Amino acid sequence: MTHRYIKIGITALVLVAAFGGLMWATLQDGTEYYKHVDEVMTNPAEWEGKPMQLHGFVVPGSIMKVPDSFKYKFQLQNNGSVVTASYEGIVPDTFKDESEVVLSGKLTSDGFHTKRDGIMAKCPSKYEASKKVG
Amino acid sequence: MASLGAFLLLAAFVVCSYAAVVSVVGARRGSRRLIESGVGAFYLITAIMGVASAVMINAFVTNDYSIKYVAHYSDSVQPLFYKITAYWGGLDGSIMFWVTLLSIFGSIAVYVNRERYRELIPYVVAVISTVQMFFLFLMVVHKNPFTTFLTAAPVDGEGLNPVLQNYWMVIHPPSLYTGFVGMTIPYAFGMAALITGHLDDAWLRAVRRWTMFAWLFLSFGLTLGMIWAYEELGWGGFWAWDPVENAGLLPWFTATAFLHSVMVQERRSMLRVWNVTLVILTFFLTIFGTFMTRSGVVQSVHAFGSDPVLARLFTIFMVSILVFSFGWVIYRLPLLRARNDLDSWMSREAAFLINNWILLFCAFFILFVTMFPTLSEAIRGERLSIAAPFYNKWMAPIGLVLLFLTGVGPLLGWRKSTPSVLRNQLMWPVISGTVVGIGCTVWGFHFWPTGLCFALCGFVMGTIVQEFWSGTNVRRSATGSDFFTSLVGLVGRNKRRYGGYIVHVGAVMFFLGCAGQTYKQSRELLLKPGEQTTLDRFTVRHDSIAVSDDGQKQMVIATVTVFENGKEVNRLHPAKWFFHKHESEPPTTEVAMRRMPGEDLYIVLANFDLASQTASLQIVINPLVNWIWFGFGMLAFGTGITLLPERTYSFALAKLPADAATTAGMLLLALMLSGTTLAAQHTETSAIAPVLPRNEIEKRLGQRLVCLCGSCGKEPIGVCACDYAKGVRREIASLVDQGKNEDQILQHFIAQYGSQELLGAPLDQGFNRLAWLFPYLAGAGGVLAIGFAAFRWSRHDAPGPVEPPTAADHELTERLDDELRNLD
Repeated sequence: MTHRYIKIGITALVLVAAFGGLMWATLQDGTEYYKHVDEVMTNPAEWEGKPMQLHGFVVPGSIMKVPDSFKYKFQLQNNGSVVTASYEGIVPDTFKDESEVVLSGKLTSDGFHTKRDGIMAKCPSKYEASKKVG
Repeated sequence: MASLGAFLLLAAFVVCSYAAVVSVVGARRGSRRLIESGVGAFYLITAIMGVASAVMINAFVTNDYSIKYVAHYSDSVQPLFYKITAYWGGLDGSIMFWVTLLSIFGSIAVYVNRERYRELIPYVVAVISTVQMFFLFLMVVHKNPFTTFLTAAPVDGEGLNPVLQNYWMVIHPPSLYTGFVGMTIPYAFGMAALITGHLDDAWLRAVRRWTMFAWLFLSFGLTLGMIWAYEELGWGGFWAWDPVENAGLLPWFTATAFLHSVMVQERRSMLRVWNVTLVILTFFLTIFGTFMTRSGVVQSVHAFGSDPVLARLFTIFMVSILVFSFGWVIYRLPLLRARNDLDSWMSREAAFLINNWILLFCAFFILFVTMFPTLSEAIRGERLSIAAPFYNKWMAPIGLVLLFLTGVGPLLGWRKSTPSVLRNQLMWPVISGTVVGIGCTVWGFHFWPTGLCFALCGFVMGTIVQEFWSGTNVRRSATGSDFFTSLVGLVGRNKRRYGGYIVHVGAVMFFLGCAGQTYKQSRELLLKPGEQTTLDRFTVRHDSIAVSDDGQKQMVIATVTVFENGKEVNRLHPAKWFFHKHESEPPTTEVAMRRMPGEDLYIVLANFDLASQTASLQIVINPLVNWIWFGFGMLAFGTGITLLPERTYSFALAKLPADAATTAGMLLLALMLSGTTLAAQHTETSAIAPVLPRNEIEKRLGQRLVCLCGSCGKEPIGVCACDYAKGVRREIASLVDQGKNEDQILQHFIAQYGSQELLGAPLDQGFNRLAWLFPYLAGAGGVLAIGFAAFRWSRHDAPGPVEPPTAADHELTERLDDELRNLD
């Protein structure tokens, strides 16, 4: 009986180790930093080139679109820090002035490059906290 | 009314605590009276919650905006249908809806099992009551849906979010809740069995059906969510691994695992600890999922307000569940010891075991990854997030292994399969898989993962067809009946086994749909009128953009012509809708789709410029995506077969009435067609823009008057596109210009037509409501009809006539008996 338990134990260990290892390896390139604009802009140089998701609010009136294209330039702010961001592609309906968005992409010296389909605007939900009841 | 509602919730809480305490005391003292009092109180909760729900719905219907919840989720112009369904539209109401459902299910479960599982019932009542107490407590102290304004109530409500005013979104939450709540029943029975120590396999029989029922609704809810995301959100996909979606998926995996492993326990009395654990885990995950989506612990693109109080309450509850449940499991370990060992890895129980491990791994993997950002923030102080590709990378191979097991499992025998038997069994499925695989390679599919997925689908289908085929043939030679009768008899006698296979067919279809996603093509571009673009076989030409208004919303509708291989096949109308009441919110995207079994052509109007008539279009070709929905249909069909009560199927043991099969087929078809009514209803009407009303009077009259052109079914004058309506609109405009007011113009038209026929008012909303209701009625009618037919047929052979049989009847009975004997 003990012999059997040892066998099961070893099998389980090997499996766990294998999956853990695989998980660890894939997590390395599967993850991105999740940062707010102000966290990043205190020391932009440190974050340049790292894949990340950037959270902030679109500065009103800053969205500019190159005519007859899908190129956008806009500014994102959080707690007073502002970063210029660029994007090419279709923007979600919810992307507009003052909307809360999460961009995924990379920070470079000339602003934040959002990757394709990298704009996630907070989507409306039934469970949103009531903002203006009363 | 609000105070009555609040009082009812409080009363329900008190009755719950009474039911819980009295049941436990009654069970420990062996007092029949106390136990029955507990059960009575338990039924009473259902009644109280029913009345409370009625109060809530009444508040919605009568526009009682003094209740905050009503004011927040409804407004006066909302159609009645959405007013009622707004009941579960928000957090507070959804908790209340949850308790109501739980009380109903609990009462049914207790009522049905009260005699058979007499010793379990008091604890079942106690466990369910405790769960209800928690949710009632949440409402009473923190999230009371009946909270009223202390200041003056608003005149009108804020209205349900337009994105949620969608057909699928209305039936999605109740279906998902039914699935979630249903999982509480197996948990209650499992705990009752642990507490009483009646750990033979009897409790499993009580909960198997419940789990299956809940599982079916969970699957249905998930599918509806996918359809909604696909049709309404307009990003071309249906699953984004968002925490909220994952929350629904977690208990699905553990419940699926349980539905498989329960067979091992029934057959071989193994995996007993495992099964209890799965039941506990499933219940825990339903609560955990609720916690995850409502408390703001996990960052999600869905804007869930964070709510630390709720988070704390939920954490306490979840920890208590874990400690209490696993405490009992550990205490009862000696009773849970398996009576058999695994004989061989070449056995069905081993296949089930591996299947369980993988399903459980899926659940924990998704749980881990979903929680990863929160965990990393807690541990490293740095929030790291994981994107959807990571899930796909992992889930694709895992899914394929599962698919492979789906094909292998049924071929393995219980205990041990000899290699030679296995070889025989495997031959055809392997051939079928290989043929499909080679076919895919020849057709130029990548082997990984699409080709492999197709090949495995072929393999699984081979297994399933072989199972049906050989089973039917055995039965045919035994009974001498024709192939079809034998097939129905076979399924009827082994509903769980063959129903399960049909569910597997659904799974195969689902995998086909997912495999198709690897060949998804998408293009975004800007088109001026007359310009066109080609994607694969399709050419899309942008024709025009028009604006129209139906009073509730302004619609910007593009018209595009679709050519397939150069031939014009369709005219589609992707649109954006701007709701008047929700001007601060973004417009909704109305996707135009050309749906075919092979692929969807999916066109989104992403952006537009009215002046230059240019449209930014996103064109997506989504191969095989519809097979996912078909797959669910198949899954529901299979589950339905396994869920049918025993006596319903006894008709299959008699000789099947020749026309019964036809009727059943027709009914099923009718049911499916009612499904297409649902789909058809969602397609956008391609109303060409009428002249925009210049002022309020014109706008109102455009809605109050109906078109009498005879071809539009009396559409409002403001909407109908015919020349007649144009004429009337012109006439209205000229009358307005003459300075006449609304009533004068109405009188003018009534005089002109000599009747009120032109007035739209008699139509009211009634017709609309009926139209909304129709698919439900059709669906319900179909289900009723099938149930009725099944019931009728099942009675044919039930030998126990109430009235004494006449001579002819006697003869008939005898003949029937003979036939029955031949069959078995």
